[in-house]
Amino acid sequence: MFHQTGIKTAVILALLAGLAAYAALGGYFARELVIEIATLAILAISLDMVAGYGGMVSLCHGSIFGLGAYGFAVAATLLGLPPGLALVAGIALGALFGGAVGAVTSRARGIFFIMATLAFGQMVYVLIFDARALGGDDGLPGVPRLDLSALGVDLQSSLQFALFAIACLGLVYALAAFVLRSGFGRTLCGIHANEARMRALGVPVWQYKANAFALSGAMAGFAGALAAQHTMFVSPEMMVWTVSGEALVIVILGGMGTLVGPAVGAALLILLRHEIASLTNHWHMVIGIVLIVTVLAGGRGLYGQLEHMVQARRERAKAHA
Amino acid sequence: MLADPSTWIVQGLNGLQLSMLLFLLSVGLTVIFGLLHFVNLAHGALYALGAYAGVSAVWMLGSYWAAFVLAPAAVALAGTVLYLGLIRRMRRSGPMNQVLVTFGLIFVFLDIFRIVWGDIALGIDAPAFLSGPVEVLGVAYPAYRLFIIALGAAVMAGLGLVLSRTQIGAMIRAGVDNDRMAACLGLNVERIFFVVFCVGCALAGLAGVVAAPVFSVTPDMGTQILIPTLIVVVIGGLGSLKGAVAGSLIVGFTQTFGAVLAPQLAAVAVYALLAGILIFRPAGLFPARG
Repeated sequence: MFHQTGIKTAVILALLAGLAAYAALGGYFARELVIEIATLAILAISLDMVAGYGGMVSLCHGSIFGLGAYGFAVAATLLGLPPGLALVAGIALGALFGGAVGAVTSRARGIFFIMATLAFGQMVYVLIFDARALGGDDGLPGVPRLDLSALGVDLQSSLQFALFAIACLGLVYALAAFVLRSGFGRTLCGIHANEARMRALGVPVWQYKANAFALSGAMAGFAGALAAQHTMFVSPEMMVWTVSGEALVIVILGGMGTLVGPAVGAALLILLRHEIASLTNHWHMVIGIVLIVTVLAGGRGLYGQLEHMVQARRERAKAHA
Repeated sequence: MLADPSTWIVQGLNGLQLSMLLFLLSVGLTVIFGLLHFVNLAHGALYALGAYAGVSAVWMLGSYWAAFVLAPAAVALAGTVLYLGLIRRMRRSGPMNQVLVTFGLIFVFLDIFRIVWGDIALGIDAPAFLSGPVEVLGVAYPAYRLFIIALGAAVMAGLGLVLSRTQIGAMIRAGVDNDRMAACLGLNVERIFFVVFCVGCALAGLAGVVAAPVFSVTPDMGTQILIPTLIVVVIGGLGSLKGAVAGSLIVGFTQTFGAVLAPQLAAVAVYALLAGILIFRPAGLFPARG
């Protein structure tokens, strides 16, 4: 069950403010990092919605991310649509694919679900890798950015793009929190807790699962469209299955089923990678070890552990009173 | 070209060779899966470790056959360390934690390969008497690839005999069917788990050293083979030898003939097959449990 508690609000606001300050005070490179963090945080939040609250651990979110990027890039460059419409195309593509995967896999459980999503994601990767019309493994260059000059925002400037990405992260978080607090979100949590009982109550379970996946796909697609605008280039590299794994790693490092955790995890992973890369070439090994230790330590993640400690203290205080 | 029977023979042998390689990998994965309920995403990394161990053995001892024996042993040893250090305590946690921990292991292995053996693709030569072509049904075919087919078939037959005819086989089958009941009947299920895990690792190492002369040995070779191997397991069904045989033949031949008959669709064909299986038979073709 999701509650927008005070600590959640405080941490997400602090994170957004911290990112904005880092982008404003840091140089070009800091802004690049901030944009990357914001994009991956959106992807991780979308994954946490289905995995943490719906119990559907997806290994295809990397490919949905890539589909959103390609949807945007193809609509804007090959079809020549204005970037605003291209953004809609990217989001729609992510939602469609997510909904389809959710509908097909709704009966699969546990490891079969994980493998099925892995396979569908890989199918998309292979399709795009082989599609000469989409540039194949060379990718598509020359992706434009949104034109927000009507609002006085110039996305060509790295600072303004970074602030835009942070704003998007805040919006997506608010949207996800809104959805999870609604009746729909509570039903989803109920299905996670006891699917058989929800079915007995007359809830069309597969429909809820598919819709949740479609919504999550729309968010992941949005993250992809943002990433495509950031690098102004898309390639199949964005959707190798290890990208989906990394999204899961981000969720775990921050704390699954907390919604704030994934955003914290994204910041943690990108900053860690940046710091470790300056020390050693083998940051993958460090991340791998951090991941293993996190899971062995109980798997709550950084933010999840914090929230757990705060709640435990509160309960102890209550018991004393 | 397609009317020429020799094309079909060569492609058929290619398909068989790929199938046997996939079989060596997937049989370990599927039995570990069925018996321990453990999802080892690092199985592909163990395959790469086998290939690298083989390369090192050839460098040091100069003999392919030494590598052929030592590489599986080295991988089984690595498997023992993994089992005692990590996997034993992960067995009872859910599939997600297992996926995450073994995903972390993939990262660790990738960098170990890079540190020890470097980023450059390595390779070893097939043993001298297997290096030439051989005439099969009127077609010249590389002898080493025939050796892979024969080895796969031999392992298949050997495992089939062990599982169906020996006491240890009966114990393993009992463990796969119902591990609690097997434990109640006095079987040392823990020890069976451990042995099966080590044998599965050794088979992955064997696949690696056997593949080394055919494919180049690179740090990411394990990640690349992992997805087809998982597909074999899902198509065949968890935990059964029959499933591993059927799955690897289906995937091996679909990939090989897909590439010849419909190159545009080849890459997707396997995934479409998987999607179909998941929709109509979610538990795979020959699941160990009904």
